[in-house]
Parts: sequence; structure tokens; C-alpha cells
Amino acid sequence: MKTKKNSHSLTGLAENLISFGRKQGADEIEVSIFDSSEFTTDLRFGKIENLVEAGSKYISIKVIKDKKTSFTTSSDLKKDTLEFLVKNAVKRTTMSNFDEFAGLPSIQESKINIHSLNLFDPKIVGMDNEKKIFLAKETERIALKDKRITNSHGANFNTREIKTILINSNGFSNEYDETFCNLSIGLQAGGIDNKVEGYWFSSKRHLEELDSPEEVAKKAVARTVRLLNPKKITTQNTPVIFEPMMTSWLLSFLFTCISGESIYQKTSFLVDKLGEKIGNEKITVYDDGLSPRKLGTIPFDSEGVPSQKTTVIEKGVLKNYLCNTYTARKLKLKSTGNASGNSIGPTNFYLQAGYLKPEEIISSMKKGLILARTIGQGLNPVTGDISRGAFGLWVENGEVVYPVSEITISGKLGTVLNDIEIIGNDLSYQSIYSGPTIKIGELTVAGK
Amino acid sequence: MKKSNESTLSAYKNHFDISFDEFQRILNISLSRGGDFAEIFLEYRIYDSINMEEDIIKETAENISLGLGIRVISGEKTGYGYTNELSFDKIKKVAKTASSIASGNIQRKARYPEPSYFPHNYYPISIAAHTAPLEKKISIIKKTYLAAKKYDQEIKKVKVSLTDQAQYITIVNSEGLFISDFRPLMKIVCFSIAEKEKKREYGFSGAGGRVGIEYFQEKINPEDLGKESAQEALDLLTAYPSPAGEMPVILAPGHSGVMIHEAVGHLLEADFIRKRTSIFWDKMNKKVGNSQINIYDDPNIPYFRGSYNIDDEGTIPKKTLLIEKGKVVGFLQDILSSKIMEMPLTGHGRRQDYSCLPIPRMSNTYIDEGNYSHEEIIKSVKKGFYACKYQGGQVEDSGKFTFSVNSGFLIEDGKLTAPVKQATLIGSNIDILNQIEMVGSDLKFSLQTGTCGKEGQSVPVTDGCPTIKIKRMTVGGSR
Repeated sequence: MKTKKNSHSLTGLAENLISFGRKQGADEIEVSIFDSSEFTTDLRFGKIENLVEAGSKYISIKVIKDKKTSFTTSSDLKKDTLEFLVKNAVKRTTMSNFDEFAGLPSIQESKINIHSLNLFDPKIVGMDNEKKIFLAKETERIALKDKRITNSHGANFNTREIKTILINSNGFSNEYDETFCNLSIGLQAGGIDNKVEGYWFSSKRHLEELDSPEEVAKKAVARTVRLLNPKKITTQNTPVIFEPMMTSWLLSFLFTCISGESIYQKTSFLVDKLGEKIGNEKITVYDDGLSPRKLGTIPFDSEGVPSQKTTVIEKGVLKNYLCNTYTARKLKLKSTGNASGNSIGPTNFYLQAGYLKPEEIISSMKKGLILARTIGQGLNPVTGDISRGAFGLWVENGEVVYPVSEITISGKLGTVLNDIEIIGNDLSYQSIYSGPTIKIGELTVAGK
Repeated sequence: MKKSNESTLSAYKNHFDISFDEFQRILNISLSRGGDFAEIFLEYRIYDSINMEEDIIKETAENISLGLGIRVISGEKTGYGYTNELSFDKIKKVAKTASSIASGNIQRKARYPEPSYFPHNYYPISIAAHTAPLEKKISIIKKTYLAAKKYDQEIKKVKVSLTDQAQYITIVNSEGLFISDFRPLMKIVCFSIAEKEKKREYGFSGAGGRVGIEYFQEKINPEDLGKESAQEALDLLTAYPSPAGEMPVILAPGHSGVMIHEAVGHLLEADFIRKRTSIFWDKMNKKVGNSQINIYDDPNIPYFRGSYNIDDEGTIPKKTLLIEKGKVVGFLQDILSSKIMEMPLTGHGRRQDYSCLPIPRMSNTYIDEGNYSHEEIIKSVKKGFYACKYQGGQVEDSGKFTFSVNSGFLIEDGKLTAPVKQATLIGSNIDILNQIEMVGSDLKFSLQTGTCGKEGQSVPVTDGCPTIKIKRMTVGGSR
């Protein structure tokens, strides 16, 4: 069985760059190095289309001098290049402006045991290519057995192994290894001029947790064929059930609106709302960076601040904005360990589950839309406006009666948060943003 | 004839110390398992950025990307490997990885690389941004920032960023090709937030292209960019929610090119055609829309963001007619698809960077001019929706597409009346192409800031169109 990547020489490189930067006049300097390997196979109709296998290293450096910041990154890890870039970065700080909030975080003690977060699966590293190709092949084979499927976008299996090293001039020095595996398939059903599309995936850090080819294939088939022969509905205001994937999408928009960056830049409708009720009592949202094995879990963020579990919304009340060190200082808050590169990112951002099964939620709806998929942009964090193209299923008297397409949904996130009537019990952490099935009282659906 | 890309060769030599003999050896290793075709893509890229907000230059960044990718094609299969460790041993290892896709008995030999040149240069710039002093770029960004900030009391927040890239590429393949290009790229974007009586809206503007720094002195006034974004934010403060339902839609010239990009361009990319996932796969020479519609993809427009001297497979790109008088007449090809489909190359094989496989992509896509004047077209609508500015769009292979409108107007009795905001337009491509009733004579191109995503790869693109009237389309507003 293969083991983790050796970090010795990279750690040495980072340490040398820090002392080099200090000698050049930097007050503070932070060096991150990412050493990653990937494998990807795309198969279509049983044949390999693409096989990609590669490794790459990448370095990212932040320099602060006189409270002025500059960044540099490079995939060229030659000493000369890096020293040249660091020298330039120190020089460039003189052309930025003084910013009292700039600077690295002070060292915080962390009780997090990286090993127990279980982010690394040696089985993924040791997996042979035949097995990887088989998983994709098998997924597609099972899906294509269904005669309603008329074309395949192909199946994909991907693995990644990443080592992250972070060292800064305040004395922080740590590293962690992580793995990911992802199995997915895209399908088409229907004839030439009335195609419908669907896909499904499973994405995990550990191979044994990955859904089987059969599960992925069957879900993809079901999600595709249920959209066959859609109707267009008339424009109306109607209740809408969000499937878990759609709740995830809504949560990713919520994340943008509560990220410290959007708050201090005033590009969110949730500015100055801390401690206020922004949704109804059913809603509790967490950002949890500590839950073992989950996709978004990390021991420390990109600045070395330990991960934590942050309550974002508790029973409808906005409890915390998610911050890195800079935005926390700007907003007079504390970093929540959400630094990601030079910006802010979620860890595991999720809506707490309720009690009802998705079937029960559907059967309780007299008339309305189940939202299955959206396309397009149409999210405006400044106003909270939502407007997207949509596909879904029309429900009457608690039962799905036909699929609908070529419709749009629109509303406001602020209103939606107050209008979530039911939260399902089917929370499954399938991506970094995750939520169960939810029912919204009313959205505008435009059609005919 | 001037060998315009000769200087780019020295850049390649500085960063990749690989001799022609070694290239041939690497390519032979790549073909050693029986591959039909092997190619090495070498890239060195400098990427700079400056951000200004809260009245200060907040940060600057300088980034370097250096690496190579090796591709082996065997029948319809592709093997790919990439690395940024450039020792000969490491590169040989990547070649071996890529070679393993093939399992044939015939061992082809790579031809000795022979440098080839092209006579054209679609980005004849004076001063490449990455060579210009930082102060110069800071002075541009400040002009835009201050123009927006001082535009009106209600402008509360402005954010401007300037990014520039210098991409040096070299492509060497087993058929003896050795070709290099240098591609400059600049972009400035400005966001303004206006606030009044607890209402908040944002406006956006931008400019750029494959231009040098002189572009922002000679062609574009940085202050105008600031004013434009501030004005849009102010306009939106008084805009009404969009109507919802089916109605006639007029697309403003320029920005509306995103519709052609989504509704038509993507589905004529050859990979979707040969896989028969595109609704257009069986539509060659068939009529799919009104005969006023002519659509081109042209990588040869000087200074445009989507332009290139050679594509990422080393092919000299051609202006490609996709739709002629409403009929499908062309697809966008890369090497793999053109080989499988036995159709000529068009020079549309593009990739995001050395870690990505080339795939068929658009460059500068536009619907050509028709005969109607802008006024005539607006006059023809009694009640409808006029779409001005967009956030972007998306399409799926089935032909369903959307695009998100930031701002527009209502049309009442042949006139633009109330300003409206935030709507999504949705349609099915062949249906909408048939619903196009009038094509204007006022072709314009969108902001030179567009990026297109496909299979996780982003590439710069431009699109354009004249004023267009669609007889009936679903507008997704909220009232």
C-alpha cells in the first residue's frame, strides 16, 4: 500500500523562502505549498475516451510590509524563480496602500488531531488503474441497460491526492494530506428533438464510502427519464419543493451573502443583520470544519487558523458571519477559520435536517412544483434576488403528474428564508454545501 | 514576410531547455505503445492583478505558471499527462503515462520538429502589460475608481480590478510541427454599489482584450468605465421587477451576443456533434432558423479577447460560418473530432492551460447584420421586453438555454418605457431561432471581459449581435 507524499524538501523550501523574504524586508510572510496528483478517466459506450494521470506542485506566498500586502504564486518551483518573485512581492508592497487590518493571524493553539479527522485514504492512493476504469465502465453499463436511455455523456471516475503545507513567519508550521474520489455519469433520454438530460455523482474522501456503480447509475437513470415529455405550465405563484441538490444550491447562495467579504464590502442584503431574525424558526445552518471524513473538513484554514464548527443561523437568527482574519478585523469579529486562498470559503455548510421524509413532503402538497434542476446565473447577493431557468415535476394532490421544463423561478432569498415551511430528514452531505428536501411557501414560476 | 512569432521562440528557450532531438525522443516514447499521434504543449504564463477598493490599492499579485502536457491519441482514445517538473527524466515519465492509452502493434515514429511560422498577428500591441511599470497600471485603475466613486452621492462602494496575462505557448507534435505564440490579455472590471433609502443595487462595466497598456490611453477612457458602472447601479435603484410570462423580446445589440453563444455556438462544437448529444448532430445543411440569420465564429478579429494566431493545437484558425441563411453549414473542430468525423480543421481546439486537454471551443461568435434599423424593430412591438445587459448564460445539449438579464426595459406601443431588472430568459434553441423575426443592421460586440466554461475549463471569448426581435419567449421575472 502506498503512503503519503514526502514533504521534507518542500518544507525546507518554504522555510528558506520565509527567511529570504524577511531578509528582503518583509515584516510578515506566509508560504503555502500544494503537492497534488490526479487521475481521471472518461468512458463512453464502454470505451475509454480520456485517461489523465499527472502530478503538479504549486506555491502561494503572501507578503506584508508596513501593513501593505502583496501576493505571488508559481508553479515553477526553481529557487531562482521563487526568490525573484518574493523580492518583487516585497518591492510591490510599497505600491499598495497602508491598511491597518492587513497582517497574518497570531498563533492560536489548536487541539485538533489531524489524524482523527480522517481526511486521507491510502486505499485511493494504492488503487490500480484497472479498478478505477472498471468503476466508470460498470456505472455506464448498468445505466445503459435501461432502454429509455438514448445517449450517454459518459461516465467519469476521478481521484485526487493533495498535500498542503503551510508555514508562516509567526511560527505556524503544519501540513495535512487529503484524498478525494468521485464517480459520475451524464445521460440523455428521448428522441432527436425532445432530448432530456440528467446526471448523478458520488463524491467522497474515502473509497469505501463511495456509492456503488449501481447506486450512481440507477439514480442517474431515474433522474433523467422522469423529465421525459415535459409540459410547459402557465405563469403563476406556487409552492415549490427543493430537492436536496437544489437546497445545496440555495445554501451556496446564502454562503455568499453571509461571507465576511460580502459583508464588509456591503455587497450582501444581509449587511448589519447579526443577531437579527432573517428566517423562520425552522432554520438552523452550520459551517462545520471538524466533522471527520466530510468533504469540506480541514484541520486549519489557509492562514493556519484552526477549524471550528460555527453556528451561522440558529432558529432563524443570524448568529455569525464567516470570516478570515482580514474580514474579521474589519468587522470587529473573530476569524471563524474560513480563510480559503486570498478569500473566504465554506467548510461543510449545511442546513440542519427536519423530521419528514421527502415522500411525506410531496404528498402534503396540494399543487406545486418540485424543483429538480436549475440552469443559468441569476443570483444577486446585493438584493438577494434569485432568477433561474428550471426543470422540475408538477404535483397535484400530493402526486407527481408530469415533468415541466422551459420555466423560470424567481424570488428573493430574504423572503425564501422566512417562507421555508417544511424541512426534510434526508440530509446526506454529498457536497460541501448540503441540505435536505425543503418546501417553500411560494415562488414565482414563469412559463406560458 | 515578417516572421512575427520569432521572438516567442526565445521565451520558450528560456523556460524549457529541451532540444529538438529531445523533443523527438519524447514524442517517440509517447508513440511507443502504438499511438497514432503525439503532441507536447508547453506553456509559460505570467498573470498579474491589482485590486482597488475602499479608496486604497489593497493588494497586488504576480503569478507564474510553467508546465507542459503530453497528449497521445490512439483511435478515438486520448491519453494525457502533465507536469511542472521539467527534468528530462520527469518528462519521459509523463510521455510513458500518456503512451499507455494505446495498445497497438504498429510503432509510429515521430518526425523531426521543424519550426513553422505564420504571417499574421492579431494582437499587434505596443507595450505588453506585464512589461509596463506597476505605477502605470495603478494610475489607470485609480482613474476608473475615482470616476465611479465621485459620480453621485448615492454611489457607496466601488471595486475595480485590473488583470493582465502574458501567455507563451509552444506546440510540438509527432507530425513535425513546432510552432509558438505569445498571447497578451488585459481586463479591467468595475463594480459600483448605489444605495438609497435602504435599497441597494450594483452596476458593472469592463473592457480589455488582447491589447497592450496603450489601449487604455488611446482607445478606452478609464473614467468612462467608472461612470458607466455607477450609472447602471443608479438606474437599477429606480428599476421595476421584471414581468413574467411569454412575450415578444428584443435583444439589445452587443451584450446580447451571449444568446448566440449559448443557444447556437456550443451545440455546434464538434465533440457534441460526433457524440450525437447535441440537438444539431443530424442538422447539417438543414434549416434550423429564420433565413435572416447568419452566424460566424471568427478567431481572427484583431485585439479581441477570443482571438488567437494559432489555436492550442497549433492550427491556424479560420473564420467559420456556422449558420447561413438559417441553415447549419459548419461545426467548430479540433484535431480529434476532425479526424473522427473526417472533416477539415477549423482551428478551434482550445485549452485553459497545460494541465487540460484541448477541446472544440468558440472564439468570437456573432450573428451577422440584417436589414432592419434599431428603431424599426422597437417600433414593431406593442408590448414586450427589451433586454440590455447580462450576467451570463448556460445551455445544455438538449438545446434548452437561459440567460440572465441584469437590466432591461419594458416596451409599450413601440417605445422603451420603464426600466426593469433581474430576469431570466429561457428557451429551446431551434424554437427560438425560428421565432427570430427581425435582425438589425447594427452589429456590436459585448464587453471584452467574457469567459466561457466547458468541462471545467475557462477560456476568454467574445460575442456579438445586432438588435434582434424574438416573436415570443419566456421571460422569468417576478410579477
